[in-house]
Amino acid sequence: MIEKFQEWYDNRHEYAKKWKEKTGGKVVGYFCTYAPEEIFYAFDVLPVRILGSHEPQDVTEPHIFGMFCPFCRDVLAQGLKDRYDYLDGIMLAQSCLHLRQAFTSWELHKNPGWSYFLPMPNHVQSKRSVQFLKEEYKLLIEKLEELTGKKITDDDLKRGIEIMNKARRAMKDIYEFRKQDNPPLTGAEAMYMACANFFTDAREFTEVAEEVKKELESRKLDRDPGKRIMLIGSENDDIEYIKMIETLGDRESVGCTVVVEEHCTTTRSFWTEVDTGIEDPLEAIAQRYVDRTPCPSKDWPDRSRLNTILDFAKDYNVDGAIVIQQKFCDPHECDIPFVRKHLEDNGIPTYFLEFDVTVAAGPFAIRTEAFLETLEAEDDLF
Amino acid sequence: MAEEVKENDEKQEFWRWTESNWKNPDLKWEDAKIITAGIDVGSVSSQAVICADGEIFAYSNMRTGSDSPESAKNALNYALEGTNMPESRIDYCIGTGYGRVNVPMADRSITEIACHARGANFIYGNEVRTVLDVGGQDCKAIRCDEKGKVINFLMNDKCAAGTGRGMEVFADLLSVPIVDVGERSFKIKEEPTPVSSTCVVYAKTEATGLLRKGWEVNEVLAAYCAAMAERIYSLIERIGIEKEFAITGGMAKNVGVIDRLMKIIKMDPMKTKWDTQIAGAVGAGLFGYTLVQKGKGRK
Repeated sequence: MIEKFQEWYDNRHEYAKKWKEKTGGKVVGYFCTYAPEEIFYAFDVLPVRILGSHEPQDVTEPHIFGMFCPFCRDVLAQGLKDRYDYLDGIMLAQSCLHLRQAFTSWELHKNPGWSYFLPMPNHVQSKRSVQFLKEEYKLLIEKLEELTGKKITDDDLKRGIEIMNKARRAMKDIYEFRKQDNPPLTGAEAMYMACANFFTDAREFTEVAEEVKKELESRKLDRDPGKRIMLIGSENDDIEYIKMIETLGDRESVGCTVVVEEHCTTTRSFWTEVDTGIEDPLEAIAQRYVDRTPCPSKDWPDRSRLNTILDFAKDYNVDGAIVIQQKFCDPHECDIPFVRKHLEDNGIPTYFLEFDVTVAAGPFAIRTEAFLETLEAEDDLF
Repeated sequence: MAEEVKENDEKQEFWRWTESNWKNPDLKWEDAKIITAGIDVGSVSSQAVICADGEIFAYSNMRTGSDSPESAKNALNYALEGTNMPESRIDYCIGTGYGRVNVPMADRSITEIACHARGANFIYGNEVRTVLDVGGQDCKAIRCDEKGKVINFLMNDKCAAGTGRGMEVFADLLSVPIVDVGERSFKIKEEPTPVSSTCVVYAKTEATGLLRKGWEVNEVLAAYCAAMAERIYSLIERIGIEKEFAITGGMAKNVGVIDRLMKIIKMDPMKTKWDTQIAGAVGAGLFGYTLVQKGKGRK
């Protein structure tokens, strides 16, 4: 059953197209995990996250500044190449300028029909941000009414909350299995799952995830887990990289398993649920997005993310952390020295790597392998 | 009068350095309990080192061919040449270098980062704390402890400018044998401004531009060596230099780059009697020895 996640990852467009055919509903693409999926589900709209395809491309050069991150280029390339031609609209919840450029370029050149920019507050640490966001959500709702010709009630919002909470809880439960000494799923499989959640109807996703939970109870992987690694950093769905480092051990060198990540593609986006104890569902949703582990573009003046990272590292008993980010991702770049220091002060070695659209396998392999070698505690080599 | 640059009329390969092998005349491998081999298949050169009970017994240093397994075999055969030791006598073999997974006779592979630190620890002594390895297409700055275990490391990213292969191209462009580049770069009246780019692709434009301006070949060499030294420095500056400082790899033999680098660092590099290019293979051979001793390797 767990293979289903990869199937969805590989066939994200076919899935969304079929979903439209089957339900007659509308599909909206979103650019950042601050998009409140609950509200889309309340309208019976399918929200799908737009991710890149990790292929070299030459269509974004005229539109995006050279020192913007490879992820925003890859995302825009998907639009310019008409991979998402089935979308009924696009939306961006403000996080960083790079992704906003991809959004505005897409809006300008591909005429998505419906598009919306949600000014997600940058200062999430402000006490006023929940109220601000709630008011903004009201404007989003008006726009969604235009798109769908529907009105929604609090019950619809509560239904949306339940749909997303269930999916997120199922993923958290699956992450629990990764705490085992020899996790019954690899980091690559977990990444397939987290991304599949972006591409599918959360209800269908949850059904499969619940089956996978049962499957994992008795699943054993015939591999040496090697070093327990945590990945930390910006958007990352570079599964090829994860597969590569998880197979280093196949050739008589130090191997590893990615046991947890702090990326917006994984834990940062799904770890927290909406508090159903809050009476006003819109406020509850706003509270959730303000409280979730922030993107570093919003994580100031306090760097609240540092302790979340350390807690993950401890809970998942990691041997080392690879701080990996999209090249030119300024918000993450600002955080690197603090993240590394915080972990290293707490006895967790770190190594830094920088992603591009495609990853140079050789240089990345040797760096990762050499880092893993330094983690050998009981050293047979000395 | 500026020296004339030959237009490759004799097809002389100025970049080519001499391949070599060596065996320790004082060691009898027949008396050794454990024989291990380390094979370092780099992008430009390959080395094989045979260790007898943790001492260097023989080694070879050759150019890497287009086929990694073939290069590994050639290096090993060349190291064994004239030793009467059959290959089957080797108890454990470790592959390292960028071709480390393509060393057919290897029992396991270990990265050249770990191997260079271990190798430097042996060929320079255990006081070494910072190792700079400038190879064919990589430049690595490694911090290590007294056992030669890696603590931290950095490598050049994405671009191989300022590494060994770049120097080879430059030597060829100026028709100066690679082994003479360092010495000749000091036969100048005044230290020139470093070239603006160590990019191998732009090297020709850079060099011909300066020659046309009337620069002597030696001055151009000096400007290129100085630029390489600065580029290498920017890497080791990021990792921080702790004494003692040792250099491995082919570039360690180029005084033109190294002396200029050490002037920036304001430090004396450690000295060794060994060929600096064998450091990675030495580390691999010694790791093999430790593994066999601990019963972790086949014997």
